[in-house]
Amino acid sequence: MAFAHTGSVALLGVDGVVVEVQNDLEPGVAAFTIVGLPDKALSEARDRVRAAVVNSGEKWPQRKLTVGLSPASVPKSGSGFDLAIACAVLAAAERLDPAAIARLLLIGELGLDGRVRPVRGVLPAVLAAADAGYDQVVVPQQTAAEASLVPGMTVHGVQTLRQLIAQLSGQVPAEEEPDPAARELPDNALAGLCLPGIGVRSRSADEADYRDLADIAGQYEARRALEIAAAGGHHLYFKGPPGAGKTMLAERLPGILPPLTPQEALEVTAVHSVAGLLPAGRPLVRAAPYCAPHHSTTMPAIVGGGSGLPRPGAVSLAHRGVLFLDEAPEFPVRVLDALRQPLESGEVVVARAAGSLRLPARFLLLLAANPCPCGRWSRRGEGCDCTPTMVSRYQGRLSGPLLDRVDLRVEVDAVTRLELMERDSAAETTATVAARVLAARERAAARLKDTPWRTNGEVPGHELRTRWRLAPGALRDAEREMERGLLTARGLDRVLRVAWTTADLAGQDGPGRDEVRTALALRTGFSRGLPVARP
Amino acid sequence: MLTDTLTGVRTIPHADRLARALLSRIVEPGDEVAGLMLQEHGAIETAERLSQGRDLPAGLARKGEGYRARAVGANPAADLDRAHYLGARLVCPGDEDWPTQLDDLGAARPVGLWVRGGASLRLLALRSVAMVGARACTAYGAHVAAGLGAELADAAWVVVSGGAYGIDAAAHRGALAATGITIGILACGVDEIYPRGHSALLARIAEQGLLISELPLGAHPTKPRFLQRNRVIAALTRGTVVVEAARRSGALSTARRARDLNRLVMGVPGPVTSELSAGVHELLRSGGALVTDAAEIVELVGGIGADLAPTRRGPILPRDAIGGEALRVLEALPGGSVGAPVEYLARDAGLPPDAVLQRLYELGSLGLVERCGAHWRLV
Repeated sequence: MAFAHTGSVALLGVDGVVVEVQNDLEPGVAAFTIVGLPDKALSEARDRVRAAVVNSGEKWPQRKLTVGLSPASVPKSGSGFDLAIACAVLAAAERLDPAAIARLLLIGELGLDGRVRPVRGVLPAVLAAADAGYDQVVVPQQTAAEASLVPGMTVHGVQTLRQLIAQLSGQVPAEEEPDPAARELPDNALAGLCLPGIGVRSRSADEADYRDLADIAGQYEARRALEIAAAGGHHLYFKGPPGAGKTMLAERLPGILPPLTPQEALEVTAVHSVAGLLPAGRPLVRAAPYCAPHHSTTMPAIVGGGSGLPRPGAVSLAHRGVLFLDEAPEFPVRVLDALRQPLESGEVVVARAAGSLRLPARFLLLLAANPCPCGRWSRRGEGCDCTPTMVSRYQGRLSGPLLDRVDLRVEVDAVTRLELMERDSAAETTATVAARVLAARERAAARLKDTPWRTNGEVPGHELRTRWRLAPGALRDAEREMERGLLTARGLDRVLRVAWTTADLAGQDGPGRDEVRTALALRTGFSRGLPVARP
Repeated sequence: MLTDTLTGVRTIPHADRLARALLSRIVEPGDEVAGLMLQEHGAIETAERLSQGRDLPAGLARKGEGYRARAVGANPAADLDRAHYLGARLVCPGDEDWPTQLDDLGAARPVGLWVRGGASLRLLALRSVAMVGARACTAYGAHVAAGLGAELADAAWVVVSGGAYGIDAAAHRGALAATGITIGILACGVDEIYPRGHSALLARIAEQGLLISELPLGAHPTKPRFLQRNRVIAALTRGTVVVEAARRSGALSTARRARDLNRLVMGVPGPVTSELSAGVHELLRSGGALVTDAAEIVELVGGIGADLAPTRRGPILPRDAIGGEALRVLEALPGGSVGAPVEYLARDAGLPPDAVLQRLYELGSLGLVERCGAHWRLV
């Protein structure tokens, strides 16, 4: 028998494609070729696999060896095919039983010494395997927990090729000698997985967050906006001078978002797995992620990209969580405009020469900006020297279609001395607000039960207007502003959405005049004489 | 398309108009020396003297050089032709359509006003209020200005502003949105677009309202021209409303001019923490009237009791003296207290809606019709 095949997975963004790894062994001059659009890292698998096999105490077949990766037209990249190639070679050389690996799916990179090293994207790969009907996978030991998240899948975690060969040939594997020196060292096998510096922080549910809303003095308006944003999935824009606490507020938004549903958790974990952001040992991301890229960030880092086939960018890493753009006018205009597609459709399509990719990107956008380049504009007695042209140009960078999709615009003012001093007065904690948000979300979900939407922020305007009628007179203020040309038709839809969320938070059946006025104030960014929502 | 409600009733001789067209090219706005000569010797002689640099008042030798240099190559007849081609005209003192309240400026009175748009300047200006404020305004300021503009339009008052970014634009837009008439007074030629971003807005104002300037076609704005433009805004209107202004804002210069001319000065307050309302608050503390909505503005500028009749300077035009488009609109108006909206009248009179709107405002200034929400009716 000079032929064997097994399975592995190629990743296209966060979608896996099951690949059959075939191996053919023929008499002839010793050679080793890989066909099926391998990239550089995959071509180098030849040297890694040969060394690993030899160093695992096996004999390398000195014949003409061809590895085919099928479907041959899908571009394949990365080092995750090493394990499958090694096993297929050994099965073709009759060292392993071809039948033992035919229904198996193998993922993992091989070190030259035969150790199995983890790779990125194990979860989406195993999800694809499950979809294709596989029920057994072999993955590196470090990522076994991640693979186990897929229901109904039998996962074998392996540490070395030698161990795998022993298991497959029915022998009892020799107990791995733990290297006492290695225990002391950090596990460098995980080092290649992380992409440092993209500003993502995800928090698992059991991990305590030291950032609490109770830390923030005053800022009732901004707190209320955070709460409404979290409850309805509305995008939010904070405008205010430096030092007002915009970043502090933003960092506390993920804490009041409800925990992810099992389905959402899998989606988020898959993206983070591809990006190499999963912490070892706690694979499932259960809490909303938070991504705060710096304003010098490039387009590929925001929407996803890179050479060859793209990696998820900040918009996808913030999927089901918060994307915070601090100093938003400082971002390149192209980057800001690129956010419009994901804001509208909840996903981002990135095209490259090698093919185009669809990545999930349903995030809650949080923008923060100073009012002018120096940040002191319109503040009494602070001596802002920016000219009107500078101010309007600075603010104009954010205007138009992007801001049109932002429902809540809040002026954040610096905290007064009085508010700082009376800190002991009970400011609400994250837990209290999160409970209200969760209740409001459940209320909205119950109302939207028979629809494809789950939060008020997602409901299209005409549905909102026609499906759920408002009490007579509730919209009076908004209609008045429309007549005067102060509010566009799209603006009215946004106001309506926020009004529903406000009503959900208050536990009402529908928005009344006060809720609409609150929404108007939050949409236009200035006060209409509503009392502050003091706790 | 020129209005026929007032033009043609009484106009100055063509030679005078040519002379004033020339003067508008060689004299900077607000030049009182030239203004005095104009009062004393008339337009034709003043234009001759300035363009040739002869018989100038003592100590004007240097300035005379400037006049002469500008006069070289000036072609007033071509200017008037080009203006006509663009749908603009030069309104001069002595014309029936000249807003006589500008005479309050004395020697600094404009030599003439280039007007783009089809309505009568004098009749529209009779019921007009200026609204000015910061260019870099806050959301609050823009909201208030647009709201006031729309409410004033609802009350059939004309909103006058400078066409700039910020409060000016919001006021214009508010009036336009409420199917009202608004006048933009520019610091450049009426064919120029400044600021560049307002090309659509300015075009809309020229169609639905009026764009006016004392500067000739093609003139570019400069800082002194903005300040001189403010005096026209202040003098043309019954009162000036400042919506948002920092302490050193140009809007305050308009308010000061208005006060010097005994016009009403009004201010809309803002948050005391805002630097952009500090100028307004100072204005209010020094005697400006505090206003919060259009009804309060109309109450102040409209005179005691009813604000209906423009008694102060309204020309006496009996109903049977009205002809042309204005008559067609007047006859299209149904009797009774309900009246009809602009679209209905446009269909009935066979005129474009913008033209009907302008005629209605003119008739309103003459006290023959009045606006009631979206409807117009006979008085």
